[in-house]
Amino acid sequence: MSIVTLQLGQSGNQIGFEVFDALFSDSHCSQGLCSKRENEAYQASCKERFFSEEENGVPIARAVLVDMEPKVINQTLSKASQSGRWKYGQRSCFCQKQGSGNNWAYGYSVHGPRHAESIMNLIQKEVEKCDSLSGFFIVMSMAGGTGSGLGAFITRNLQDQYSNSLKMNHIIWPYGTGEVIVQNYNSILTLSHLYRSSDALLVHENDALHKICAKLMNIKQISFRDINQVLAHQLGSVFQPTYSEEGSSHYRRNPLGDLMENLVSHPEFKLLGVRNIPQMSEHSLAYSTFTWAGLLKHLRQMLISNAKMEEGIDWQVRPPLSGAPTPGKMPVNKNPHFNKSLANLVILRGKEVHSADLGGFKDPALYTSWLGPDNAFNMWKTQRAFNKYEKSAALVSNSQFLVKPLDMIVGKAWNMFASKAYIHQYTKFGIEEEDFLDSFTLLEQVVASYRNL
Amino acid sequence: MGRRRRPAELAGAAGALPEAIAALSRALPAGPSPETFRRAKFDRPEAAPALWRLLFRVLSPPRADGASASRALEAQARWVKAALLTQGYPRLRLARLPDDGSQGSRELLLALSWLLARKPLLEPLLARTRVRLGDELPAFECGALASPSLPAPRLEADGPVDACHLQWLMGKLRFRWRNLMASQQEQCALLGKIHMYTRGCHSDCRLGHLSVAETELLRDPEGGRQLLRRLESENARLGAALEWWRRELVFWQWMDTVLGACPPEAPQPACPPGLGGRGRTAGAWDPAVWELQALQEELQAAVGARRAAWAARVRGQGPEWSAARQAAQEATREAVGRELAALRQAWERGGGPQPHGPLRLVRTEAGAPGGPGLRAVEAIGALKSREACLEAALHQLQAQCRQQLARLAGALPGLLWIPPPGR
Repeated sequence: MSIVTLQLGQSGNQIGFEVFDALFSDSHCSQGLCSKRENEAYQASCKERFFSEEENGVPIARAVLVDMEPKVINQTLSKASQSGRWKYGQRSCFCQKQGSGNNWAYGYSVHGPRHAESIMNLIQKEVEKCDSLSGFFIVMSMAGGTGSGLGAFITRNLQDQYSNSLKMNHIIWPYGTGEVIVQNYNSILTLSHLYRSSDALLVHENDALHKICAKLMNIKQISFRDINQVLAHQLGSVFQPTYSEEGSSHYRRNPLGDLMENLVSHPEFKLLGVRNIPQMSEHSLAYSTFTWAGLLKHLRQMLISNAKMEEGIDWQVRPPLSGAPTPGKMPVNKNPHFNKSLANLVILRGKEVHSADLGGFKDPALYTSWLGPDNAFNMWKTQRAFNKYEKSAALVSNSQFLVKPLDMIVGKAWNMFASKAYIHQYTKFGIEEEDFLDSFTLLEQVVASYRNL
Repeated sequence: MGRRRRPAELAGAAGALPEAIAALSRALPAGPSPETFRRAKFDRPEAAPALWRLLFRVLSPPRADGASASRALEAQARWVKAALLTQGYPRLRLARLPDDGSQGSRELLLALSWLLARKPLLEPLLARTRVRLGDELPAFECGALASPSLPAPRLEADGPVDACHLQWLMGKLRFRWRNLMASQQEQCALLGKIHMYTRGCHSDCRLGHLSVAETELLRDPEGGRQLLRRLESENARLGAALEWWRRELVFWQWMDTVLGACPPEAPQPACPPGLGGRGRTAGAWDPAVWELQALQEELQAAVGARRAAWAARVRGQGPEWSAARQAAQEATREAVGRELAALRQAWERGGGPQPHGPLRLVRTEAGAPGGPGLRAVEAIGALKSREACLEAALHQLQAQCRQQLARLAGALPGLLWIPPPGR
């Protein structure tokens, strides 16, 4: 089943390109560590999901590119076709001549309605090329102007027009010390609108990716390209083919559907985070070997302690002990650093994947009381190695990862709102104070739900 | 018990009975050997399990899956007894047979012949296992819903059920439904492609193109051989059924002797004396009717006493709860009445009986003169009206649930309901 990707705005397009490139490179990588037949099946599965075929054989990404200015889109298109290995469809782009000046309300209330029809037509053409549609993957930033406002509007349109199809929004969480003054307003408006019309919100934090580049990849001058490549590697390790439930004879056909069923079945809990291990520069990779036990131990601790990468993990954090708290002592459940999960999905790729022991992730103490590990924990795997890593593990988690960052953004936005700073920029284009209040209410509710897990 | 009268060509021919029984055994699915039938006349215990299994197979609803077929003999025997009772089978001796399926082969033989005589039994069984070559539209096969289904294993909730957990399960169900929709759309798209690519390949020009099964036949010779084998065995069964219909008179005469071999029933209140004898005329039923009426009165008295006792016990638990329950009963009665009215309306609106039976999908050129059979537009219309009925029923049920929730919430002071975001 195929996934149609919608790349919105500058970051959406840059990231989208890196993702398709990573998927393609991996599927054509010669170091898959598996038989030729298995490799061919893997390639075919990846191709069905993300690329369509053209007469001269160059695969075309199943994507629609949207931006309000032409520069980034043109760069993206040319980068893809220059490689000669895959490309974007010639008619799959929509862009205008002027930008939107980082104004969310302009993107939502003006660009959205004005251009929705053309954009939805492009999406429709892309959908018709699919024999079967698994769902939509929408890549956008949260805090910018075009990507976020327009993205929120388009997602709502997708909800109306393709109500039975799955929608996952991939969101870039901005740097804590961002340059845009109104980024917190944009963020809460985007999040609240997406929460209503999307099925799942997969979040990547710029701060975390930046640290990975610095500490793990040892990059001195970190560019957006480096960050996006780390991101693409993480997404690739989630979305590349894995075996289906019936066993290793077939690859899973509907990864988006299976992922959502496993992780976001409760309508109040839609925020997902991704962690990946190991992550290192290609140079270091040649000199490293790993065991599943070691990788999984680190991944589990990353989950519990809310670490973003495998360096600097806080090993002191433990899950709370089960059983009634003894009188006179501190209530055992109040462990402020422990990251409680609602549901987790672990994806293993590489050598001897059948020998990996995931008992640590099935511990009921990791999960909330009303959803036991039988329902809450799932595992996907394949023998085929990913991106030259002999063994790699990814974790997609619906947990308290984002409670603190979300709470912080809501707090800052509220402080600004209390003094009505910059509100006129929004009310000028039809986003009223009530819309802000609705957004605050919804996000407060989300924060409270996650806190009470 | 009505019985078809056939010209008495073969009546009395001594060799005709084994052949008739052999034909019946070949025509039935999972038919027991003719030897089993003979043993059953003498109530031999070794014949019983095969007959229990046969009755289970014969009475199961059309879409019963493999899991139900592999149930233990005990479960099958219990189910057969219940199904026969539902259909009105009169002999209580069968109901009193032990559940372990070890006895009663003669009673089972009688039950089988009762089913055979009552209404067409072989035809629907044969239709069920027809080899289907075309791509079918499954939506219009009625009767699948009407038959009594096997009770699904019930999961008892131990302890209070968390509302959050239920929401999770509901969400999971919704996702699975959406994935199913996507799969079905994929199937339609691929079917369309196959039909389009194989245009002009079919020897029957009314059809014009191949179905999936026929395409597979061409692609995979081994599959073709298997299909041929299935067609051959279906032919054999059809031939056996024809032979049975020619010879069955002999079987009924033999069944009379089987009945005669039964010991007289012990005097029980609900066992009419005239059943085992000859001459199944209406007059023989009067004592049966009288006995049944007496039994019914007895049952009603017993049920009334039990209900009063239970109501008294329940009343101790809280007056508002039993009042709510009575209100719920009243609401149920109203709901059933409304649903019947809606069904009647829909039937009239839909222009009478809906399309019915298996339909093969055939793709034609746009604007080509229509052949026999249902057009897509009509099929879509019929499905849409059915969808409208079901949606109306769903809305009603949802409204009822909402009212019930509001009632429960109102009963608990200080409780706030906050609906989830969106919709």
